This record gives sequence, C-alpha cells and structure tokens, in this order.
Amino acid sequence: MRVPPPSGETTKPIVYVIDDDESVRNALEDLLASVDLNVISFGSTQAFLDNGLADAPACLVLDIRMPGQSGLDFQREMTRLGIRLPIIFITGHGDIEMSVRAMKDGAIEFLTKPFRDQDLLDAIHQGIRNDTLRRAEDHVTAELRDRWLDLTAGEQDVMRLVVRGLLNKQIAGSLGVSEITVKVRRGQVMRKMQARTLADLIRISDRLTE
Amino acid sequence: MTSSARDAMPAPRHNRPKLRAAVILFLLVAVFVADTVTKFEIAIAVFYILIILLAIGYMSTRGVILLAGLCVGLTGLSLLLSRHGSFEAGLMNCGISIAAIATTTYLVLKTVAAQASAFEAQAQMVRVARLTSLGALTASIAHEVNQPLAAIATSGGACRRWLDRDPPNIDKARQAVDRIVHDANRAGDVITRVRSLAKSEPLHREALNLNDTIGEAIAIAQNETERNNIILHLSLAEDLPQVLVDRVQILQVVGNLLLNAIEAMHVMPTFKRELEITTFQEDRDRIAFTVTDSGVGIKPAALDHLFEAFWTTKEGGMGIGLSISRSFVEAHGGQIAVTSTPRMGATFRVSLPVAERNLA
Repeated sequence: MRVPPPSGETTKPIVYVIDDDESVRNALEDLLASVDLNVISFGSTQAFLDNGLADAPACLVLDIRMPGQSGLDFQREMTRLGIRLPIIFITGHGDIEMSVRAMKDGAIEFLTKPFRDQDLLDAIHQGIRNDTLRRAEDHVTAELRDRWLDLTAGEQDVMRLVVRGLLNKQIAGSLGVSEITVKVRRGQVMRKMQARTLADLIRISDRLTE
Repeated sequence: MTSSARDAMPAPRHNRPKLRAAVILFLLVAVFVADTVTKFEIAIAVFYILIILLAIGYMSTRGVILLAGLCVGLTGLSLLLSRHGSFEAGLMNCGISIAAIATTTYLVLKTVAAQASAFEAQAQMVRVARLTSLGALTASIAHEVNQPLAAIATSGGACRRWLDRDPPNIDKARQAVDRIVHDANRAGDVITRVRSLAKSEPLHREALNLNDTIGEAIAIAQNETERNNIILHLSLAEDLPQVLVDRVQILQVVGNLLLNAIEAMHVMPTFKRELEITTFQEDRDRIAFTVTDSGVGIKPAALDHLFEAFWTTKEGGMGIGLSISRSFVEAHGGQIAVTSTPRMGATFRVSLPVAERNLA
C-alpha cells in the first residue's frame, strides 16, 4: 500500500482517460485542460496499468468498447488488483444491462457518447472528491495502524480487552498479571493511541478492525 | 363420428383425409366386430390404439379425445355382447384395453403439444436471430458515428471554455475548432460509407491487419459471448500480410458471423459452447479467417439458401446479416463459404485478397 501524504492533499488531482479513439482522447485532454485539470490519457487498459498510478487523488474516465479488454471487465480487474479509483464510464452504444452492471460494481457515472461536457466535468469533480475523502480516510487508518504497531504485545492485549468492556480486575485475571500492571499498560495504550476517552479508543479499535 | 371428425379437420386437403377417415371408420367397425365375436380371453380391443394413432394430426385434440371415448365405449359394449369364454378374463382384458387406449391417447396428445411448443420456440429463435443481426449492424454504425460526435461535442465544450477564460485563450480555442472540423468530416465519412453500402459506391479502403480487425469485432461481441458462457479459441497467424479493405464493412462481416455463431449455440448445453476463430495465409495472394461454432449445424437443404436475404427465404435461422456479409466480402474481391455437419456445428470461411504492395 502506498503511503498517502500527510494530512490535507497538497498534490494536484489527476484524471486518467482510457479510450482507444485518438480523437476522443485529444478532445477530452483539451476539455480537461481548459478547466485546469491534470489529465493523462491512454489508448488501452494495458498502457494504463503499465504506467502505474501517481500518488494523488484521481478518477478514471473509461471507455467501454475497446479492442482487447472491455471497460466493464477492466472495472472488475481493478477491484481484483486493489486499484480503488472512482470510475466514470463513457460509451458509444450503451444498454441498460451494461449501465446496471457498471453502477452495481461501483461506477459513479455512465455517460453515453456524445455527452454534455458539463455532465462529464460534474462527474469528474465528484469522483475526485470521493477519492480525496477515501485517501484521507486511508491516511488516518494507516496512521492508527502505525500507532497500534507501536504498542507492546502486552499493551495490545490490554487494549483488546478494554474495548470489549472488561474491568481492570477482569483484565488482570484474564491475562494473569497484577491490576497495577493493567493500569500502567492501560495508561500507555491511551497515550500511544492518542485517545482521550474510552469512547475514543473504541472508535479507533473499530476503525482498525474494519 | 365421421361428421364430427370432418368438423374438427384443421383445413380441407385433397382426397387423403377422406381416405384416412374411411380407414379409421373401417378399423373401428372391424375391431368392434372382432372383439365381439371372439372369446372373452382374446384382447382384440387393444387394437383401438391404432385408431387413436391414425387420428393424430388429422383431428383436433378434442376430436381425438371424443374418438378415444368412443373406443372405450365400444370396448365395454363388446364385453356385454360377447358370448364365448370366461367373463372374468373378458372383464380383465376389457380393463387392460381401456387403460391402453387412455394411456396412448394421453401420451400422443402430450407429444403433439410438445412438438407445437418446440416449433413455436424455434420460430421465436429465428425472429431473435434476425433482430440480433440488425441490432448488431445498427450498434456498429452507431458506435462508428458516436465516436466522432463525442469528440466534436467535447471539443466544442473545450473551445467555449477557452474563450470564456479571462483573458480568452484564442490559440487553444482555434485548435479545438480545427479538431471539430476534422471530426465532423470523420463522422460524415462514416455516413457516406454507410450510404455507399446501399448504392454500391467505391469502398473506402485502407491497409489493415486482419488480426486487429478480428480483435475489434471480438471486443464488440464480448458482451454476448460472456452472457452465453462461450469459450473462445483464437488461433491467429502471425506476420499476415495486410489487406486493403473497408474497415467498417469487414468489422460488420466478422461481427455478424460471431453473433450468428453465438445464436447457433443457444440450444446447446453451456459446456458445449465453443467458438473458434482462426486466421491464416491461404496462398500467396489471399489470406482467410474462419469462424467455427459448436452449435446444431445447418441442414444440407438450408446451406444453398443461407446467403439469400431473409425476406426471400423462409427456412433457416439466419437473418439479413449473411446476405449483407456476402455482398461486402464479394465487393472486396473475396469469398465467403460455409461448411457444416449437422449437430457438429458450422464453419464460415472468408478469404480476402492481400494488399497489392505486399505482393511486390
């Protein structure tokens, strides 16, 4: 997993475009440039995969009908590969079946060519917003995981039992240590996890086990 | 009896129905007489099933049931009129005969109903096949036209946004307009080519790699192959010389053959649906491709008419697609042929002349 940048996005969002038609690609690149969006376009899904993802919030404008792998299949492959970009589908001939499949698999928009430029831009902005939020969440989770890994094995044991609602006395009994030790470790857990209250700690724990 | 049979006749046909009615009547009387004069122990009455079998396809369902009822009645009457032998055995034989008549009637009526629904399903399939070929054709044309239209609409949007800027970016706007003009011409070309199909104007030829065009057609048909769980085998020859063809037309030929093959395999169990596509060099100045399905195959009688337009021929499940395909292929100086073993699938083979400069 890529390490996201520190809080707040400083890098500029990127729009990836995959369409086998050069004219469509050129037009899209120009449209996005005219509203100051960074765009990188590819003629095939393979070229996109070969290029790799930059570390920035992004979304993907994906054509459905292409030689080789279709856009809908690529959507599934992305899930398998763990690439979690928001997808906006564009297609020259769409049917209901296709759009249902695309949306069920999590696409944020399904546009039929020719589409209104504003519809596309709205979808792209929505996609980038979603991705920014997702990255922020990932970032927080990653940081919490770092804090968790910072705990000693004994502290981790205590935290597991604390969030299950056990009293210090019960924890001591269950781990076979003194109540004083539990108290000390519990203090360490709260400090290292940066939790002010028990409720905080439970929220953090929920997030880590998601 | 005879009058009710006539009423139930589906349509008057020459003299043979009368003959059949006479045979039925004769048998009915003969079986009745034989059953009555012989001993109880001889189960002549089972021969009434012959009458039922004769009546199938000649009478309506209701007529056949009435006839079966009559046979059962006559069997009972014979039992009462018979003079010789053991009455107990006669009673048993009478029961067996009635059961045989009833069972036969039930089974044949079921069979007829099943045949009728099978026929209906087949007719439905033929209609679907026609729609699919037309649908594929329109989808292909729509795709070809919508690509440049999408580019035009998008460039238009970009152009307006460059102009709306403060200060406006005139250079960028001009580039966008240039692109619009280019793509508008491209869209126009597509329309011209579609129209030229009807008018048989010169083709828009370009040097292409046949394998690429086939790959493109497979991408278009992908939805269909997936939905039908079809296993695709590709055997594409490398280093094929280029062909000088109209891309849209050849795409439609390949696409149509693919869809026909998929259609032909509808009735097969899923594990038997295999589609094979090959490309190869036929000889020095021709290359070819084949599309082979594992479907039901084509009846020898249908093979001769396969490439005729569907409104001139009633048989077969192929629609307008093949006749268009043939005219496309022949316009390129190529040939399309089909071979088929009934129940073993069919192979369509298209050969095309290679581009001149490859021969030099």
